[in-house]
Amino acid sequence: MAQVIGGFGVSHSPSMGYEYDKGITGRFDPRWKVWFDGLQPVKRWLAEARPDQIVIVYNDHLNHFTFDAYPTFALGVADEFPQADEGFGLRPFPSLAGDTQFGWHVANYLVRHEFDLTICEDMKIDHGIYSWLPYVTAPPWPAPVLPLAVNMVRHPIPTSQRLRKLGEAIRGAIASYPGNARVAVIATGGMSHQISGARFGMANEEWDRYFLAHLTNDLDKLVAIPQEEIMRIGGTEASELALWFAMRGALSDNAHHVYDFYTFPQITGCGVIVLDEAAR
Amino acid sequence: MTVPKPTQSLEPPASFVYTGPMSTCGRNINRFSLSLKLPENRKAFLADSNAYMTRFDLSKAEKDLVQARDWTGLLKAGGHLQAILKIATAVGESLWHIGAHNADLEVADMIAACPRRVGGLPEGV
Repeated sequence: MAQVIGGFGVSHSPSMGYEYDKGITGRFDPRWKVWFDGLQPVKRWLAEARPDQIVIVYNDHLNHFTFDAYPTFALGVADEFPQADEGFGLRPFPSLAGDTQFGWHVANYLVRHEFDLTICEDMKIDHGIYSWLPYVTAPPWPAPVLPLAVNMVRHPIPTSQRLRKLGEAIRGAIASYPGNARVAVIATGGMSHQISGARFGMANEEWDRYFLAHLTNDLDKLVAIPQEEIMRIGGTEASELALWFAMRGALSDNAHHVYDFYTFPQITGCGVIVLDEAAR
Repeated sequence: MTVPKPTQSLEPPASFVYTGPMSTCGRNINRFSLSLKLPENRKAFLADSNAYMTRFDLSKAEKDLVQARDWTGLLKAGGHLQAILKIATAVGESLWHIGAHNADLEVADMIAACPRRVGGLPEGV
């Protein structure tokens, strides 16, 4: 059967992508060079982990889905996931490849285990994935991606407990997939940030570092924190950190901390944590 | 310029926690805003903004908010930040303009103030 080999949680933001494109062709803004350098160990980890499949739990920002029909959970099952044009034009990166056989297996397993997701055969991917992806790998992308979009843009959003259970269900889906595929599970969102209102630009490094320090072995403690509390001290968009619980939930209790890094370039707390399964 | 330290409030004008009723209220604003992801729609909007907004059934008051670049007013009227950002982009402004307007600051002052550092952990941790 397939196995989860590890995963990581990572922040995303439009500026992260924009600054990459600018930086890679000339000089990085010093604030973003710190992030670029900080992700090099993640890039090495991913290359050495050699995943055959990559599950990514992320959120769209009204760039593919609109409020005409906004799913709480949506799984992309298609051969290809094109980049979404967010209104700035497309960035110079190819579409993500998908593996429909794996995708339908996960879809079946999740629905049979009470996660009734929307299945999308057309899913365009925004900065939720494309902003950090070039920092940790390069085209041609190393493995097919299975994108799972979670509503984080309009309340009610799923609870932290629910996202942890989603991760556990993803683990079950992988463990029941025939063959011996090596699967990485990534979650992206957060960290502390707020991009509207008079609190625009707030940064809570104390909280972000606390989160990174406790995600590996104190999941119960983090999941028990009311999401409103996280938004109150970390900004309204810090609620996206709940997505990281899906990554942690998809890994075993024995998964161990490999690396973490944190910086705050300008308006979004940028953090990453890499966890590896002991068996690897 | 002294920029105030962010509070811990989740209420407007400090924060706009986007809810279902706000979404209902801002339906036309959001549909209009998100249409501007497409280059041809941005062109049509810039050529005749009033006519373009009429296609999305925006009220006079909503149109006035757009014409005035009243980003805070648009959020209060139910516009989602990610949607409002498309209008700002179409008219040559950015997230910084929205944030500065929301905080009643000059754009340069907001850029200089970020990151606006706070501390603290959730209650009970």
